[in-house]
Amino acid sequence: MDIRVLTPSDIPHVQSTNITNLPENYFMKYYLYHALSWPQLSYVAVDTSRPKRTPYDPPKIVGYVLAKMEEEPVNGIQHGHITSLSVMRTHRRLGLAEKLMRQSQRAMVEVFGAHHVSLHVRMSNIAALRLYQDTLGFTNEKVELKYYADGEDAYSMRMDLDFLREPTLDADEDEGDEVGDVGKKENGDKAGGKKVRQRRVKIGKGLGVGDLVERNESQV
Amino acid sequence: MPSLAGAKERSLFGQVVKCYENKQYKKGLKAADQILRKHPDHGDTQAMKALIINSQGNTEEAFALAKIALKNDMKSHICWHVYGLLYRSVKNFEESIKAYRFALKLEPASSQIQRDLALLQMQMRDYPGYIQSRRAILQARSGVRQNWTALAIAQHLGGQLVDAERTLSAWEDTIKTPPPKSDVEHSEAVLYKNTIIAEMGETERALDHLDAVSKGSLDRTAAMEMRGQYLLKLGRKEEAANTYRTLLDRNSEYRAYYDGLVTALGLQRTDLEALKKIYAEYSEKNPRCDAARRVPLDFLEGDDFREAADTYLRHMLKKGAPSTFANVKSLYTDVAKRDTIQSLVESYAASANPTQVNGSAEKQPDKPDGEKPADGTDAHVEEKQVNGNVSQFDSSVRYFLVQHYNYHLSRDLEKAMNLIEDAIKSNPGSVDLYMTKARIWKHHGNAKKASETMEKARSVDERDRYINTKAAKYQLRNDENDAAIKTMSKFTRNEAVGGALGDLHDMQCVWYIIEDGESYLRQGKLGPALKRFHSISDIFEVWQEDQFDFHSFSLRKGQIRAYVDMIRWEDHLREHPFFSRAAINAAKTYVSLHDKPQLAQASLTNGINGEMDKLDKAERKKAQRKARKDQEKKEQEEAEKKDAKKTAGNVGADGEIKKEDKDPQGQKLLQTTEPLADAMKFVTPLLEYSPRNLEAQLASFEVFIRRKKFLLALRCLLTSHSLSPSNPTIHEQLLRLRHTLNSHPTSSPLPAPVSSLLETELSKLLDRDTDLTQHNDTFLATHKLSTPHVHAALRARYALASSSQLDAVKEEGQKELIKTLELGEDGCKLEDAVRGLELLRWWDVGEEGLGEYRARARESWPEATVFE
Repeated sequence: MDIRVLTPSDIPHVQSTNITNLPENYFMKYYLYHALSWPQLSYVAVDTSRPKRTPYDPPKIVGYVLAKMEEEPVNGIQHGHITSLSVMRTHRRLGLAEKLMRQSQRAMVEVFGAHHVSLHVRMSNIAALRLYQDTLGFTNEKVELKYYADGEDAYSMRMDLDFLREPTLDADEDEGDEVGDVGKKENGDKAGGKKVRQRRVKIGKGLGVGDLVERNESQV
Repeated sequence: MPSLAGAKERSLFGQVVKCYENKQYKKGLKAADQILRKHPDHGDTQAMKALIINSQGNTEEAFALAKIALKNDMKSHICWHVYGLLYRSVKNFEESIKAYRFALKLEPASSQIQRDLALLQMQMRDYPGYIQSRRAILQARSGVRQNWTALAIAQHLGGQLVDAERTLSAWEDTIKTPPPKSDVEHSEAVLYKNTIIAEMGETERALDHLDAVSKGSLDRTAAMEMRGQYLLKLGRKEEAANTYRTLLDRNSEYRAYYDGLVTALGLQRTDLEALKKIYAEYSEKNPRCDAARRVPLDFLEGDDFREAADTYLRHMLKKGAPSTFANVKSLYTDVAKRDTIQSLVESYAASANPTQVNGSAEKQPDKPDGEKPADGTDAHVEEKQVNGNVSQFDSSVRYFLVQHYNYHLSRDLEKAMNLIEDAIKSNPGSVDLYMTKARIWKHHGNAKKASETMEKARSVDERDRYINTKAAKYQLRNDENDAAIKTMSKFTRNEAVGGALGDLHDMQCVWYIIEDGESYLRQGKLGPALKRFHSISDIFEVWQEDQFDFHSFSLRKGQIRAYVDMIRWEDHLREHPFFSRAAINAAKTYVSLHDKPQLAQASLTNGINGEMDKLDKAERKKAQRKARKDQEKKEQEEAEKKDAKKTAGNVGADGEIKKEDKDPQGQKLLQTTEPLADAMKFVTPLLEYSPRNLEAQLASFEVFIRRKKFLLALRCLLTSHSLSPSNPTIHEQLLRLRHTLNSHPTSSPLPAPVSSLLETELSKLLDRDTDLTQHNDTFLATHKLSTPHVHAALRARYALASSSQLDAVKEEGQKELIKTLELGEDGCKLEDAVRGLELLRWWDVGEEGLGEYRARARESWPEATVFE
């Protein structure tokens, strides 16, 4: 099983892996949005041993972590967010989720100067909770009521990443400074007049980057 | 443009534009109508109104109004711009580009039109046009880095690498103060420039450049990977080795890094001791690293292999990793390794067995699927000594052996079934065990029991979507389409338009749609089958369209390397097996429809495989009439239901208004009068993007020979031949093409250049004067121990026969087919036997012939549902 960074051509199988394993699913475009906004942060686990049946067989994805940076961080403190993480049932107990996560976390720090990483997990998902809490060292921040489309509550968890930061990295860094122009993006969302609660649901099932992207067009 | 006289109108017009941009359509329309009441022929307002109407989903009306607008004001760039936008929305990009060009001619200073044109040129891969547009945009605003980068991308993708580098450097030269270290856009642009230098083949310069800039580069992983590649290319091995060591320290689970290190150290596959040392080093360094332990199994042989495999297997089985088998099965292509693994794991089982008899297996605290994740996350926590207890090891060993004997290279289904029954007895609450039992049934050909068993596995853990997915898949394999969608619906957004199936389409759940289509195809329900295959094609169209927004988005984000990766992937998007699998099936379906138009009717009843076989002609007709009536009634009812629903508003998950599907059962697709022309929608992209896919070539041949496109058929044949010269279907297709050409009517001869080219090329494979029948008989005699060859010969014989011979050919063929059933596993696999049955059906041999074949097949495959 290789652990390597996600490339756009992996996306169809990442999407398949996601809809095979998890109730929260996304359009291709939402994966592209991750892969083209923070290409260094998402990783895949690849089963390298599968024989190819045609020259066009893409790598077989058995696990992935889809990650991003928070677009409008509170207090300007850069931090990452795990959008989705899953491993095929047939490939569990290999520690893949942890390995995927660790690579992603380092990239968050190195590329985007993240201070911590956050994620949501279903309250009923004991196994995932154990992974995040015991193996990786996340702490439980708070409960988000009815976070999931089916009404289930989520734990909002976070993990400090300062241990990954090297002194050299911090030396000439201007904290809180927006990188690139990531920050400008959300305008479109607000113009849509969506309520906060609605935005949350979007994170789950049906978020496309349609409005995010197209809207911006008129503002350049 | 005739400007609006009053200030009030002008402000109203501004309001229309704003409302459109903010998607406040109702308000926008109101304002537009207000203007039009006073100035009914105001083109610009009409155009804007058309744009809004289009956004509300009324495309036809929008186009009509836009045309009126243009008639009223030919000189308005707004009217032309809108016209282009409308064409763009229906994906007629060529017309759209034309309209934008007109608009731009009328208003050269409009950056909006310029940008819309540029984006479309990029989407269409019109690089010369795109370079031109980007240059114009840059000239208008040269103070923005994005515009320089954009021009460089255009030049790079357009093949002008030197220009691209120059453009990027030109901007860099204007930078006075070094950008802050956190400037991702800068860091990426610099690395992007480096990839262009490397693409020019100037590796040395690329390395120097990289070394100069990499200190400020934020993407350290990428920079190091690039450096390693350059160093290897330049033969600077020592430095390359160091780079790969650093990469391995950061990520020891990536084979490419080990390969890089091995190459850098100049090691061959035979330098076993040195290789072993490298991997041992990393496995010591990282106690949880898998690659360093697993990779040596690939190159070690004999006793070395046995020793390493023993250590590896014990380690993994102690951990209780259910994936151990999946992780080693690729070694089975080497028979010696396969046997070694079998004897090792059997020996573990033998020494474990006594304790099991004592019943200790009953209390296994940590069964293979002891976790209960609702969302599929890998929840393995640090391996603890407690878990390494004997019974955990034993059950892992047993689970491994079940999978081993279930695998096609080491198959012994009876043994596998006995083992799994035992395992389930001692651990009845295990999803994994039932899941594996279902797989064993599948390999027996018992789709029904496989489906039932997978459903049992699902019921053990209803919150795990993985097992839910498997259950649905096995239901589809057993042609339980309704049950399958019901299973899927436990995790779909069922309030979506079209219910669960609609949601699966929305969410682009490709695997399900393909499996559903293939299931309908098996059942002879060609309408829904075609429907699904078209859906896959539609999804790929969406995926292609999806890149559009990123042409501008990625410039703002500054992640150019990722963007270029994406563009290059999109360029050959349809080579993906998701597409080719659906496309090949669609092409085959259309060929069937062409050969047997009556299938369109049969499809309305129980399908070709259903009851129809058993009826005589008159009954069949009657049944078809009834089916048609039922269908019409059903359609009408559905249409009425739809109408009632329509007013409720169909809004999809993406917030877009969903156009309702007027043909959910694919009946319109089925009623085509030109199935072969329809097939081209699939054949063209297949051949363009997957030319080296043998199945694609074989399927395309069938379309071309029927369309009498002999040169194209020949090209498929020659390509197939170059891909796999000994494939039996090539024999059949070759004979048929030869036969078709030989019997081509002299009254309408092929053009001389065509026929001479055909002759020259075809002669290379088969001499013109060959007696085809005799040649085929020889082929059959030579290959009588291989079922696929026998099938090919029989199909060829059928094609060569005159109409008076057909019955005799079928009768003889039936006997030959039954003979293949006795060839044993080497000569006739289950799927071969199934194909034999399909061939008989295709020949319409009737229930008696089918029954005899089935009965004989049951002797070899007593469990296979397909022969029931």
